[in-house]
Amino acid sequence: MLDTVREIETPEGVSLRLRAAGAFGRAQAWLIDLLLRAAFFFIGAAFFGVFGKGGAGLGMLLLFAITWVYSVVCEVWFGGQTIGKRSMKLRVVCADGTPVTLIPSVVRNLLRVVDALPGLYGVGLVCTMIDPSARRIGDIVAGTIVVHADALPAGSKVPMVPSQLLPVPLDPDEQAALIDFAERAGHLTVQRQEELADILVPLTGREGTAAVTQLTAYANGLLGRP
Amino acid sequence: MKQEQFVALHAEEWDALRFWLAQLDRQPKAALRSEKTVDFPESYRRVCHHLSLAQARGYSREVTDRLQHIVEMGHRQLYRPPAPRWYKAATFLLAEFPRLVRENWRYMLAATVLLYVPAIATYVLLQWRPDLAHSLFSATQLKEFEKMYDPSNPKIGRSSGTDLQMFGYYIMNNVGIAFRTFASGLLLGVGAIYVLTANGVIMGGVAGHLNAIGYGAPFWRFVVGHSGFELTAIVIAGGAGLQFGLSLLAPGRLRRETALREAAWKGARLALGAFAMLVMAAFIEAYWSSMSMLPDVVKYGSGAAIWLLVATWLTFGGRGRNHAA
Repeated sequence: MLDTVREIETPEGVSLRLRAAGAFGRAQAWLIDLLLRAAFFFIGAAFFGVFGKGGAGLGMLLLFAITWVYSVVCEVWFGGQTIGKRSMKLRVVCADGTPVTLIPSVVRNLLRVVDALPGLYGVGLVCTMIDPSARRIGDIVAGTIVVHADALPAGSKVPMVPSQLLPVPLDPDEQAALIDFAERAGHLTVQRQEELADILVPLTGREGTAAVTQLTAYANGLLGRP
Repeated sequence: MKQEQFVALHAEEWDALRFWLAQLDRQPKAALRSEKTVDFPESYRRVCHHLSLAQARGYSREVTDRLQHIVEMGHRQLYRPPAPRWYKAATFLLAEFPRLVRENWRYMLAATVLLYVPAIATYVLLQWRPDLAHSLFSATQLKEFEKMYDPSNPKIGRSSGTDLQMFGYYIMNNVGIAFRTFASGLLLGVGAIYVLTANGVIMGGVAGHLNAIGYGAPFWRFVVGHSGFELTAIVIAGGAGLQFGLSLLAPGRLRRETALREAAWKGARLALGAFAMLVMAAFIEAYWSSMSMLPDVVKYGSGAAIWLLVATWLTFGGRGRNHAA
């Protein structure tokens, strides 16, 4: 349950990774939408107010549109993102990773009525906490999922140092771990880098900063650099 | 092949595809005119292949994440829903929706009973014991109804407000009720049953009270026009809610989640159809029903014609061979 990544096998034979968005980010997106819609409604109502009583009718139509229509239109015709979701870099997609279509979007937005019970999305919140993919009831019924839409921070490059060959052959996942270490070392403190590198004393025969450099050199070798 | 060589060999193609996909998000028309469009399927397949290779060979995140992102963008474009078409909306309203209503006739029948039986019962009860109206509505509500349907009122059915204002109000109010009726069906159908019965009692209560105090004529003259669309739409939304709730209680030979999803698909389309009907009803209610000058023949004649139209539409819509789904 800690892992919120869903792997979807596509017809092309590769697996897509959908990273489900949790309750907190979605609540923020909802709040942004709510504020935007409220502001939009008040501006619209003030504008229609000029037309007197007929304007009140237009104001009511506007209220209808922003309550029931806004989310569906945004999700179906603007890539699964309302303005709030766009600013939080979230996206609604079908459970198989394809863009959301009209009927699922209608279902998930109509069922806000149930999710919003007993006020302030109580049911929805509990449901997102129980469900492994953080779906609320509307999402489960509609077969949709809210995912993070931003690109993962691209793994930083392994620092360039003259490469060295490994003294002993390593398994593929051991090699991958070595390269991962070299890629991510930049994000760690020097002490942590050394602590991790010291685990591999049997391989490098060194300790401290020297061990880190040595491992980076091996990683360069594995990547095929000169 | 080592990772660096692999990247050096293919990076150009990845960047080109990624650039084109990003352009497709921002300026779809310009992107579709460019010659890369023709290469997209082939290029996308190759990048998918590269991703598989990169994963199988254990290349680092730097490469796999990069490819993953391109594949995600491509997947989103390749499997995007078809663009909406007007004729689809028309076939939905003329053929698909009536068919769906007939297909779920049992639920529609149940919803009809749940709406009309309390309504008629309340109506009859109020003819017999008119004072019961006071236990159903508050004094202010009763005064409001009496003012709305006062025979001397130039605009029947409202105490104040212009046509446009009432149109907005009817849309907001009635469509909201229909949508909530469907959605609250999820609570084992209880929500839908409650909304239908409560609306039935209120309808019967208002009609019964006004009839008992002698304001019956303006009331019937008002409601006859739009009731064909409005009441039928409420019944359909209620039926949609009932079948939704029942799919959770008795999923039949499906898993509950699957049964619920299928019922939701049906229910959402029924709710969309009810939405269209209620827009129609609100239009009639605001602009036609409220006219008090017209003679009875026109009022009741048009009301009967609209009921007949709704019945014909729902009974025969989408029956022909041309509509074979």
